Amino acid sequence: MELFNLQNVLLLSLLLVLIGSYGIFLRRSLILVLLSVEIALNGVNLSLIGFNYFRWSDVETSHYLYMLSIGVAAVEAAIGLSMIIVLFRNYNDVTRDRVANLREIP
Amino acid sequence: MQNPSLVHLIFALSSLLILLASLGVVLVKNPVRATLLLIASFIPTALIYILLQAPFVGILQILVYAGAIMMLFTFVIMMINPAPMGGKGGEGGLPPSRLNTLVALLLLVLAAVVFIPGVYQAAAQTTVNLPLRPDFGGLGALSEMIFRDPANNPLTVSFELMSFLILVGIIAALNFSRRKSQSRLDSPSETVSASGQVEKEEI
Repeated sequence: MELFNLQNVLLLSLLLVLIGSYGIFLRRSLILVLLSVEIALNGVNLSLIGFNYFRWSDVETSHYLYMLSIGVAAVEAAIGLSMIIVLFRNYNDVTRDRVANLREIP
Repeated sequence: MQNPSLVHLIFALSSLLILLASLGVVLVKNPVRATLLLIASFIPTALIYILLQAPFVGILQILVYAGAIMMLFTFVIMMINPAPMGGKGGEGGLPPSRLNTLVALLLLVLAAVVFIPGVYQAAAQTTVNLPLRPDFGGLGALSEMIFRDPANNPLTVSFELMSFLILVGIIAALNFSRRKSQSRLDSPSETVSASGQVEKEEI
């Protein structure tokens, strides 16, 4: 049975993006929202590498794009986590409800 | 690619593991377990990258993603130590509201569109399997592509620009995590240099 082909790799990456966006929309803790962003990014990276192998296998452009993507992911994780630390230090609370009501009385 | 059926088996097993671990990340209640499950989902992803003739990308996935970025998450979770369930920093989904139901339905429709067999077959017909170079995806070929003729190569420029992005990220993270009261008491230059060293080691 032929399983290792482009459409199955794309299906896997789409499911990862869907799982990640489920977590982004429905989790309350900001740390878990950031983890769900990482899942979605992982799905996108998988589709990049899959396209490069199955369709454009003469240059490794997507491998380069993957490197850029994990660089951006590292910066995003560092800034997001430092914002979470500031929130925790000021309000002792890292849920998204707290962020939604930042203007109101702490 | 010596044994084709083994390749299909490895792909099926590792995609199953990735999906289970990722579902665990969004469904489990304890944040530490969620981080560890995410690391567990990165290892079969690296295996799939190696199947896709991208061995260096697979190594990067484990070294940089699972090793460095996830350790940052683990450190922060251990630092702020959120309660596993309920209360502050706790878990459980949002209370069901109209917006959340709408979003979940939208995701379901999106998944259903892909599962329609016609779309699936169309994706199968466009697949063109080009013959691969023997060194495809290796470190030598990759660095040749990025750093060949550096004065005229746009890839070299954008690769070096990434370091500026990371520098800006370090400065922003430093600025966020600096305590205001401390910077008023101490002399500003000392605070910056001391926290700068700590931050560089972390990243």
